[in-house]
Amino acid sequence: MPAITYREAIRHALAEELTRDENVVILGEEVAQFNGAYKVTEGLLEKFGPKRIVDTPISEAGFIGMGVGASMLGIRPVMELMFWSFYSVAFDQILNNAANVRYMSGGQINCPIVIRGPANGGTNVGATHSHTPENILAHHPGVKVVVPSTAYDAKGLLKSAIRDNDPVFFLENTILYGEKGEVPTEEYLIPLGLADVKRTGTDLTIVSYGRAVIQSLAAAQLLQQEHNISVEVVDLRSIRPLDIDTVLASVRKTHRVLIVEEQRPFCSVGTQLAYMIQREAFDELDGPICRLGTVDAPAIYSPPVEAEQLPNPQRIIQAARTALA
Amino acid sequence: MELSHRTITQIGHYRDMDLTGTAPDTLLKLYFQMLRLRRTEEALHQEYHPADEMRCPIHFCIGQEAIPAALSLHVRPDDFIFSHHRSHGYYFAKGSPLRELFAEIYGKATGASGGKAGSQDISHSDTNFYSGAILAGAVSIAVGAAFGFKHKRTKQVSISGFGEGCTDEGAFWEAMNYAGKQKLPVLFVCENNRYATFSDQLKRQADDNVSARVRPFGVRATQIFGNDTVLAHRTIGAEIERLRNGDGPALIEAYTYRWNSHVGPEDDSANAYRQPGEMEFWKANCPIVLLGEKLRAAGLLTDALSARYEAEVAAEVAANFKFAKESPFPTDTHWRQMNYADASPLADRLLGVATRGAGFDQYQDEAKLGPY
Ligand SMILES: Cc1ncc(C[n+]2csc(CCOP(=O)(O)OP(=O)(O)O)c2C)c(N)n1
Ligand SMILES: [Mg+2]
Repeated sequence: MPAITYREAIRHALAEELTRDENVVILGEEVAQFNGAYKVTEGLLEKFGPKRIVDTPISEAGFIGMGVGASMLGIRPVMELMFWSFYSVAFDQILNNAANVRYMSGGQINCPIVIRGPANGGTNVGATHSHTPENILAHHPGVKVVVPSTAYDAKGLLKSAIRDNDPVFFLENTILYGEKGEVPTEEYLIPLGLADVKRTGTDLTIVSYGRAVIQSLAAAQLLQQEHNISVEVVDLRSIRPLDIDTVLASVRKTHRVLIVEEQRPFCSVGTQLAYMIQREAFDELDGPICRLGTVDAPAIYSPPVEAEQLPNPQRIIQAARTALA
Repeated sequence: MELSHRTITQIGHYRDMDLTGTAPDTLLKLYFQMLRLRRTEEALHQEYHPADEMRCPIHFCIGQEAIPAALSLHVRPDDFIFSHHRSHGYYFAKGSPLRELFAEIYGKATGASGGKAGSQDISHSDTNFYSGAILAGAVSIAVGAAFGFKHKRTKQVSISGFGEGCTDEGAFWEAMNYAGKQKLPVLFVCENNRYATFSDQLKRQADDNVSARVRPFGVRATQIFGNDTVLAHRTIGAEIERLRNGDGPALIEAYTYRWNSHVGPEDDSANAYRQPGEMEFWKANCPIVLLGEKLRAAGLLTDALSARYEAEVAAEVAANFKFAKESPFPTDTHWRQMNYADASPLADRLLGVATRGAGFDQYQDEAKLGPY
């Protein structure tokens, strides 16, 4: 299998879906003529033309609203946010309109929109540009929320997202864009709502998603080498729908859980997960469910401090040892 | 005549700068302020790589020194400036300490925002300077400050600095609507540099000006050749005077040009977004060169004075780097301390009383928050 970057995997998914379905269009700031702020859409304008790949003004509320309207009529817009952090400018369109339209229309109107872009910290861009809104988005019934950690997952999940008939929010990561992974040349889809065991183990289950998975895998390797601790890493991949069954199967095996997320802890994805695990597998647990997330403050710019605010392998190792104590 | 980036390069060499009525020491101050800002930005630009000790996005303002220099001579300490992401010029205009700008960019505890914000969201409370990197957000906030001034019947002025790209956003027009309706003491300063990242204003909007469209909202608007520092100084002075006398709001649209990449020291010319000949036009009409020529012709600026200015600025820049590099990073032991309000010196200054938040002790209590 050829190794391609996470960025290329997303681009390939877009190109394949643009080719397959002429109703798929891409809209966003600088996505066409200048290939997107992170060059994800590079080359798509030349290939698919300006009717399919469309530059918008810097008007998130306006163009996301346009995407919602177009999607109600069967167009399949894939909207790029330069940063997911700018979603708050379009909050009403995303969470009042896209999320509610099917329900409020008595099931008469679909909203097959995809909104994608990077949502992560760790790049010293400060609080206004480092939001990780997966918990806030997933709070709303009617939406799907996907956070891929590898090139393979990104491609398969994005293709499913574009074919999905409901709004799908696809949260990428600027630090992962350059990471390579093996991706088959033949077409494949990954269904939304299916977790993936990224490493098998017997002593502790780490449940994670996004870049925190990559850091958990690095920590798991060190825990094995240096502390002889066998860690299983479950990658949720999709926050909503949430594949609790794969998580529970792992918990029944290891009986210890650490949730690792690039989220601040209060009302996070991990909060929901911890509730579901104890509800379904209380008797399986040999200790309290532990969590490691981002330290509870807005994202700091100062580079050495930001590294400590976020999950990192050292902090994960420490949390894993606490979870096993 | 309406100004437009489409036709502005036909001016050739700009010859309309008029020194009449501006005092010689003011002219020299304008020149010195521009030189300070230029050399500061050049030094930061040059130092960014390969040292990589500055890690935040920086939107350099080289080429756009006229407006900050002109503003700097008119704003009072109790006025406020609210800037967009291209913040250094406005920070400078407010007289906020440059060494704390350097330290902020280095992510140090001694920085203007304690190393928490970096360049694009920097604020300096003691000098009433604030910036916000989410486009158009700070425009509404500036209107809110003006609301406060009107409410307290002060003579303060709120200044909002932004680019033409910000006017794509709906929030910008909501701010115009309210400021115009309520006649608030706010000066909107739009540095129209044609591009938002790489996109021409005409690719995003039906016309390449902002002035004509804010007027129906009740906002008085003036277009100027933005590299004429003397004109900028005169225009800003007149508008601020009117605002202090209750005759607001106003917008000044200064046509100018950014010489560097949109962000960072990396070259973005591979994107080929600029018009041919445009950079040459604007460099030939550099605001520092234009004023310098006039000052020399008038016998105000000599080689000796110019050398003295350069030496003074070089020493200041060197001291700022030293301060920034030698300062400590913030420690990560007081994360929560900043999350909730105890006191607000900023509000105290406007209201003239000491305010106290209710929540501080309660939220600092680790036990009540629970261990995570
Ligand atoms: C709401 C929002 N959308 C997008 C961006 C990304 N962005 C940062 S600066 C910029 C261009 C701004 O252009 P302009 O307002 O003309 O200011 P200039 O950079 O030219 O000084 C964009 C699109 C942002 N910061 N905020
Ligand atoms: Mg601009």
